[in-house]
Amino acid sequence: MQQRKRTASKRLTNPNLTYHLMILPGIIFLLIFNYTPMFGLVMAFQDYVPAKGIFGSDFVGFQHFAYMFSLPSIGRVFTNTIVIAGGKIIFNTLLAIVFAILLNEVRVRWLKKSVQTIVYLPNFLSWVVLASVVVNMFNLDGNVNQILESFGLGPFNFLGSNQLFRPLIIGTDVWKSFGFNSIVYLAAITSIDPGLHEAASIDGANWWRRIWHVTLPGMLPIILLLAILNLPNILNGGFDQIYNLYSPVVYQSGDIIDTYVYRVGLMGRDYSFGTAVGLFKSIIGLVLILSANQTAKKFTERQLF
Amino acid sequence: MNTKKGFIYLVLLISLLGLLGCVGESEPEHNEDGQLIVKLGKQTATNPKLPEGDTFEDNAYMRLAEEVLDIELVNEFEANGEDYDRQVALAISSGELPDIMQVSQEEFEELYENDLIADLTDVFEEHASDYIQELYDSYEINPLEDTTFDGRIYGLPAAVNVTPPHMIWIRQDWIDQLQLDFDADGDKLITLEELESLALTFIEEDPGNTGNPVGIPLAHWLNEPGYGGAFTMTTIGSVFGSYPRNWIEDADGNITNGSLTPETKAALAQIKDWFDRGILDPQFGTRSWDDIMALAVNGQTGIVTGAWHMPDWGLSNVKEMHPDVVFDAYTLVDDQNKVNIASQSPGGSIAVVRKDFSNPEILIKLINLFYDTLKNEPNLEEVYPDIYQYQVLDVDGAVRPLNMEILGATSELDHYAEIRDAINGEIEVSDIPDARNQSIATSIMEYSDNPEEASTAAWALYHSRMKGLELGQYLIDHDHFEWVNPVFFGSTPAIEQYYGNLLSMEEEEFIKIVTGVESIDHFDTFVEMWHSQGGDEILAEIEAEIAE
Repeated sequence: MQQRKRTASKRLTNPNLTYHLMILPGIIFLLIFNYTPMFGLVMAFQDYVPAKGIFGSDFVGFQHFAYMFSLPSIGRVFTNTIVIAGGKIIFNTLLAIVFAILLNEVRVRWLKKSVQTIVYLPNFLSWVVLASVVVNMFNLDGNVNQILESFGLGPFNFLGSNQLFRPLIIGTDVWKSFGFNSIVYLAAITSIDPGLHEAASIDGANWWRRIWHVTLPGMLPIILLLAILNLPNILNGGFDQIYNLYSPVVYQSGDIIDTYVYRVGLMGRDYSFGTAVGLFKSIIGLVLILSANQTAKKFTERQLF
Repeated sequence: MNTKKGFIYLVLLISLLGLLGCVGESEPEHNEDGQLIVKLGKQTATNPKLPEGDTFEDNAYMRLAEEVLDIELVNEFEANGEDYDRQVALAISSGELPDIMQVSQEEFEELYENDLIADLTDVFEEHASDYIQELYDSYEINPLEDTTFDGRIYGLPAAVNVTPPHMIWIRQDWIDQLQLDFDADGDKLITLEELESLALTFIEEDPGNTGNPVGIPLAHWLNEPGYGGAFTMTTIGSVFGSYPRNWIEDADGNITNGSLTPETKAALAQIKDWFDRGILDPQFGTRSWDDIMALAVNGQTGIVTGAWHMPDWGLSNVKEMHPDVVFDAYTLVDDQNKVNIASQSPGGSIAVVRKDFSNPEILIKLINLFYDTLKNEPNLEEVYPDIYQYQVLDVDGAVRPLNMEILGATSELDHYAEIRDAINGEIEVSDIPDARNQSIATSIMEYSDNPEEASTAAWALYHSRMKGLELGQYLIDHDHFEWVNPVFFGSTPAIEQYYGNLLSMEEEEFIKIVTGVESIDHFDTFVEMWHSQGGDEILAEIEAEIAE
């Protein structure tokens, strides 16, 4: 104990102190904006009345949670969240891997660079902007339907159909972010020893064989790690995207936890119930993070914490 | 050593938190001249037509109020529509209210229960002018009853008896252009079949030349309180005797909600049929309020539903885009030639005062000034030249400290009668007692004399009065209204707890039925769900309250 104390104080000698002071604003920021609001979770167990505040409101125990599970719409909201978020994770990962492998094979340097820039670009645009583009393209008299109609198909009401809304959400999200996601995979590919490729070529492996037996196994640890780390995101359907694209017609297939909490909790001013749903989501998220961390440790011998 | 370091960290942390704390320090209550500073929550309008240099905070109305009451008015926040509601929601949740603001009935009840607003009974009785008290008393049900708890008044409601019926505004210039034989007898009362075939003709002929015409657009919420809702189904419901979202008695004398009746099911079946046949907007449900307005402005649709005043704030946008546009107001009748309508409580937006505000009488004085003194001043031009100028310029009333109206029970039609008499030459414009109505009459004459050259403002005033209010007057004169009186208007604990959720469910299930996700028989499932998700408790509480 004495030993540890000494090292601790030793760490706070002059040069280190400067660094610690530099972290301080960040820590304070974190405390004020991430940790302090956590006390607000108490509201989930109260009948929160703004005038009385957190300290004055009456405690009602698990009443809001009971009400939450009694609502028929809550199961739908969780299902939608998991299906949409799961679809996004799977397709984003697959497409990013395929794209990284293909891009790595492009030998023309300027082509490679420009393709890369073009596919990264949408990632930096806000959904508020992109949503109006998507709406204009996919509504009944939008470009997509015009093209489909010239092939004798449709028109399809993408934004107002419960069959098509989820594919639209997943598809546009993958379009927006697969390029950016492929960066890590590209890095993983470049770290594979070129000697392995040469050896495979000499042994007579064609391009397909080399991808299958050299590139993919080389990428596997990174793929696994990223997939596992993405697991907690299974409850994040993407509020800003869906909020800007959905309407009551597609609540059935597109209403996710975050949009539901926003509508009920903030706009409906049912603060306690909104908090209860949000807290429930956080608990599931925490369990997923912990199990993902354990799984990551088991498979890749790396972990987050 | 270690504790010392910890101490430094602690001091730094505290001083930083202290800095953050300073932001929230309260401002002084008086300005340098010793005038009381009154903070308002300001509900604005999109196109107030203010003269250059004037703002929502600094304009002739605000300056007049400041001068007369010897105060300084400051707008704590300014917002419009949903943004205003959001500001109020934030003010309520933070507990920091402006001194005076306007809220909805729902917000009002929440404020009362939270003990955040002042009891205005004494200041109202002491300061409110006789005229203002008479205005409220002129209603069958005094609007103040909605804001009174245990005999004490906590807010002053707007009072307007919006003139029914719910109307259908149709592009008359298109009907003329296509030489249609629509509403042959010219009484503006049309049947569902007539409306249907007109919509089909508009879709087929595309008189707006847009390439993608839309028949009849409706908003996805389909219904809202009152009969003023833009893009709602109220007029279609009236054909079937359906009164959604009203607490009414059913055929057996039991209390129910108008959304649950077989008549509402029939009205929905009609709308669903229109959707199936492409008469209703095929993108019904996904369009926002603005999207639907855009359909009218672009010339994609020539049929929209709404109240008599729709030309003043909505259809005027169509006029801006298409100078030759002419609308006419129609309404749907049933096979008895009747318009079935549920009477509405006259209240609306409610003005409230923060609980600890030192001078609550200021709200009453503002109301006296704007809804009595200015209204009844026969010589506005000389006594209040700035205000007179504003009325000539048709500056929006939203720039006043309070964006609401307090009128007597029949004011809208009384005013219409005066204006009509002046236009028919039966009285002089100067004989009209209200200065605002004088300028409206002048504008309407300007439009009648020369429709092609008239301004958009004159176009709008002509349409809303000589077509909208005219239709309302016609229905009264020829006894076309069939009134149903809702049995209950207020709120109960169960309404507060469950009704919001029930309304969201209603909206969703109705959309499913109309768009064909569920069959029309799903309506019966909806009724069952409604009862089991708190509806029965609401009905029991209403019955108990009526029995009292």
